[in-house]
Amino acid sequence: MPMEDRSDALSPAGALPMLILRVIQSEPLHGYAIAQRIHLLSSDVLAVEEGLLYPTLQKMLRKGWVEAEWGISETNRKVRFYRLTTQGRAQLKSELSSYGRITQAIQEVLRTA
Amino acid sequence: MRELMRRIHYLLNWRRLDAELQNDMEFHREMAARAGRKSIGNTSRLREQAYEAWGWTWLDRLVQDLRYGVRILARAPGFTATVILVLAIGVGVNVAAFGLFNMVALTPLPVRGADRIVRLERRSPDNSTSEMAYPSFRFYQENARTLSAAMAVLGVPPMQIDHDLELTTASFVTANYFTELGTRAAYGRMLDPEIDAGPGAPPTVVLSYGLWQRRFGSDPGVVGRLIHLNGKPVTVVGVTPFAFASLGGQHPDVWLPIAQQPYFIERSTVLHDWTNSSVRMWGRLAPGVSTKAAEQELRALTDRLRRQHPEAVWEGEYIQSSPGGHLQVMQPPMYRVAAMIGVLTLLILVVACANVGGLMLARAVTRQHEIGIRIAIGAGRMRILRQLCTEALLLGAIGSLAGLALATMVLKITLAKVNAPRWLNAMPDWRVLLFTAGITGVATFFFGLLPALQIARQKQQKTTARQILVGAQIAASSVLLIVAALLLRATQHALYTDPGFGYERLVSVDPQLGRHGYTAAAARAYLDQMQNRLRATPGVSSVSLVKLPPLGRTVSNSNTEIHGRKVTIYPNWVTPDFFRTMEIPLRMGRTFYPNEKHAVIVSESFAREQWPGENPLGQTLGDGADKDTIVGVAGDAHINALSDDDALEQYWAAQQDDMPDMVLIVRSTGEAGSLAPIAKALSASLDPSLFPEIRQLKVLYRDNVAQIETVAGVVSMVGLVAVVLAAMGLVGLVAFVVTQRTKEIAIRIALGARPAAVLGAVLKQFRWPLLMGLGSGTVFAALGSKLLRVALYGVSNLDPGSYAAAWILLALFAAISMLVPAARALRLNLASILHHE
Repeated sequence: MPMEDRSDALSPAGALPMLILRVIQSEPLHGYAIAQRIHLLSSDVLAVEEGLLYPTLQKMLRKGWVEAEWGISETNRKVRFYRLTTQGRAQLKSELSSYGRITQAIQEVLRTA
Repeated sequence: MRELMRRIHYLLNWRRLDAELQNDMEFHREMAARAGRKSIGNTSRLREQAYEAWGWTWLDRLVQDLRYGVRILARAPGFTATVILVLAIGVGVNVAAFGLFNMVALTPLPVRGADRIVRLERRSPDNSTSEMAYPSFRFYQENARTLSAAMAVLGVPPMQIDHDLELTTASFVTANYFTELGTRAAYGRMLDPEIDAGPGAPPTVVLSYGLWQRRFGSDPGVVGRLIHLNGKPVTVVGVTPFAFASLGGQHPDVWLPIAQQPYFIERSTVLHDWTNSSVRMWGRLAPGVSTKAAEQELRALTDRLRRQHPEAVWEGEYIQSSPGGHLQVMQPPMYRVAAMIGVLTLLILVVACANVGGLMLARAVTRQHEIGIRIAIGAGRMRILRQLCTEALLLGAIGSLAGLALATMVLKITLAKVNAPRWLNAMPDWRVLLFTAGITGVATFFFGLLPALQIARQKQQKTTARQILVGAQIAASSVLLIVAALLLRATQHALYTDPGFGYERLVSVDPQLGRHGYTAAAARAYLDQMQNRLRATPGVSSVSLVKLPPLGRTVSNSNTEIHGRKVTIYPNWVTPDFFRTMEIPLRMGRTFYPNEKHAVIVSESFAREQWPGENPLGQTLGDGADKDTIVGVAGDAHINALSDDDALEQYWAAQQDDMPDMVLIVRSTGEAGSLAPIAKALSASLDPSLFPEIRQLKVLYRDNVAQIETVAGVVSMVGLVAVVLAAMGLVGLVAFVVTQRTKEIAIRIALGARPAAVLGAVLKQFRWPLLMGLGSGTVFAALGSKLLRVALYGVSNLDPGSYAAAWILLALFAAISMLVPAARALRLNLASILHHE
């Protein structure tokens, strides 16, 4: 089995960048909204720790996958929204495809073994 | 790359971005509170983690370490100042040496396309010369396609401007010389190939900036003026720029087009004679042509030339090219000299590093307490090591900066003193800066890492490191001292030993008949007249002729082996009176008969090498028709190789054909200088177109010796610096050991130990390092100084006197620097120490 794919995407913590990229794909979100969105969409299974969310966002800023821009929150407060960059879009695409392949492979093993 | 830009952007805007992040988290907290969830935890920890995500923490720690280091060093000003001073000397000496090398061999001349300029010289397995015949030059110039241009320079004896008493240096150059270098005249114009290349062009001269200032009072109106050079009218057309860079570091005061050479030197055949090697050749490689390709083409051309003019080409001759776009065209022997100087200066750095390393170790004891505390409150060994390395780096950087400043100052003074070309600049360029940075890194590694490792391991009591440092210092300074002693001995030898000929009252008179188109018969007539008239002059005791005059501009030699030993043979052609005039004793046999053929006189050493234990008289040299019989043996007299003890001489009787090349040697009974005007007047009465070059051998000899004196002086100074540094290091180390063992010493004395025994116990640990250092240094010096042999004026590189002197000096320094601090221990107040403990 070729292991060149990012296998840490299997653990929820390793998958966080991918999840973040996915939830801000349609529109820029602020940090809290990102956490909320992931929480909701996972039917309350995945709770994003703030302690993980913000350092991860910093890493993604550093990699150039997201950009931060000022916006107004639903509570009328000035806060930073994170927006997907072209580079982030490409990253998401590659992460999704490798994630798909790995889960598929694992499924295969679980089914046939 | 983009990521790096983002990281730098973050670093620069860190405060703002951090505040923004804080705002984000503040908002998050508010929202979470609304949703009825608990607080989101420690935000400052989160901010810290966010900061770490950008990967700049190392920088923070470095800044922190640097701040701490500065505080620590500022608190020990004595230590800091000593270290910086020692490093400044160690680094400064190296940077100065490299700076000089850089100026001479690496900095490109400020001329057009300096990197494409090559120096071209004739070489063959048996012969080498720096000059070639002008027709050969023309042949290469016209036929070489790998050269886009070729320039020739013809050096001539100094010429007389109008009726000046002082003569002016002059060179003839091809008319393209300045246009190829891209030189722009300060006033008027430089030589122009369109105007000055032909022999029929009106005579023109370009003045040097210096001459224009001195001789013509900086008058711009000099352009167009008619002056006389050696009596020939010539028009000044221009002045070279102030910072003019010429090839080969040659800076004559007047520049003349080579096509005009026969106008100034009447009946000259230089421009047509295929056998008269007289011009230096330079070329510019055509675009895209490698040096190798050019050499290959020139080799083919040499073979073609051999077929056309066999007299112009040696057997196995080829043209050697060397990079010419620097101040000095570097030849392999010069690289050897440079490497040797490099080794000597690096030794200084070794001494300095070992010295500073010792100081750092000693200081570690006083910091034991502080470091202990830091480790106790949780600093890891790595953290301590990094802190110590940062401190070392800080010291290294400051010391090197000081060294760089020192070196720049030294270079500046040197440049001003030696009247260097104006375009040279003492300010460090990127090569010097890079070198300084590199050497700082190496030095810091050596003086910083070893002690830092020891300190971080909390093992500074161990003596091994100290002993290595002492050994290294002693070894390096003994090499330097031995070399310095050898050179000093050589200077003394040169100054106070008979060079084998009496140079005090001699003048050489070189009429350069060959260059004036004299035939052999005409030359003979002139020389006979001159000799007769000079002999009749009161105050002249003897006159003779020689082809290669003592300490002359032209040196000829050939390397061969005699019985497996490499020797350099200096041939010469002389008239019978030569040995008497030069005061070279004839040990055996007789001198030549006039024009004697198939007879040869050799020097004593030559005879000893060739026929050990046999009678050399009557032996033969050479074979076939060229067989020569030894008729005499002369004393050793290295008239053209003063410093080379391996030189052997071989003389032949001058023949009719040699006459145009002969030089007069005149011995006076009184002051030789007074002969100059007489010889000049005599020559003028025979042929007013001649301007013989008259040189006093005494002056030439002194100049020659002064050179080696300067070298010996510099090396001695460097050696002394090394030994003083080493002594300082020893003083510090011994004092440190004494302090460390104060209690033990006090108890020993209290128990009645004799002072000598106490001293012995303290100093015992330095015995082996001292001996080992001295031994290895001596071996290194003995091996390395072989390279020095030619500079030693006949002093053996194993001269026991020099070695002994160096050892004694070193031992003296070591003894004083160890005993003074150690003796302090004996005067200690026993009661108070024991009480205190």
